[in-house]
Amino acid sequence: MEITEAREGSVVVLEVSGRVDAGTAGAFEEKVLGLIAGGTNRLVVDGSKLAYISSAGLRVFLMAAKRLTPPAGFFAVGALQAQVREVFDIAGFSSVLSIHDTRTEAVGAAS
Amino acid sequence: MSPALTLDVRNDTAELGRVAVELARFGAAHGLDEQDVFETTLALDEVLTNVIWYAFGDGEAHEIAVRVELVEDELAIEVEDDGVAFDPLGVKPLDRELGSPVQERPVGGLGMHFVRRTMHALAYRREMGKNILMMRRRVAQRR
Repeated sequence: MEITEAREGSVVVLEVSGRVDAGTAGAFEEKVLGLIAGGTNRLVVDGSKLAYISSAGLRVFLMAAKRLTPPAGFFAVGALQAQVREVFDIAGFSSVLSIHDTRTEAVGAAS
Repeated sequence: MSPALTLDVRNDTAELGRVAVELARFGAAHGLDEQDVFETTLALDEVLTNVIWYAFGDGEAHEIAVRVELVEDELAIEVEDDGVAFDPLGVKPLDRELGSPVQERPVGGLGMHFVRRTMHALAYRREMGKNILMMRRRVAQRR
């Protein structure tokens, strides 16, 4: 797993690539919680390079969404690959998270 | 003889990436559909994660034995560990919680939810001090 951080206006975008499983979710969690602790309140995950996720990784997405609830914050996800998107769907996350087809739309929603 | 893959997995979550690579290689060698490989990887990952996180309280190194066998149109995946007795089939199904609002969503239970959704048959037994979980998945026509 690798994480690349970018800023688009008021939104921080994390491009997460590779695999987020129980072995790598800890580093992802640390990154997300570190940003939130540092004052980031609008966060987007760009999933275009995310090849795989398990429940250990989904837990971090849920955590981010719980801490960044509107109007004070916003958490959105964009550009998930089809197989990963299906994991989000089976988890029932499609109805509880702000999920978008593209990174641009996710950033727009969070802005 | 039907194709089989056997793996000795250390009780370390860093092993999960290697397990995925081995399963992908097995799938490619035997013409399995990508979706079958992806969902089997997910189910096996969730079971191994549970074992690695919760089965051993002694801080020692343990080996978890994984065997994947392809018999006609079915994958049979067996996971055997020598940890504390635990029947994962006893984990409460999630279905009703799935639509609850984000603040109320429980964090636990998702792993077994994935296993139930991706496998068509599950069986657990405790034998000679070992947990043995058998999962079966029907796979698509092979190429």
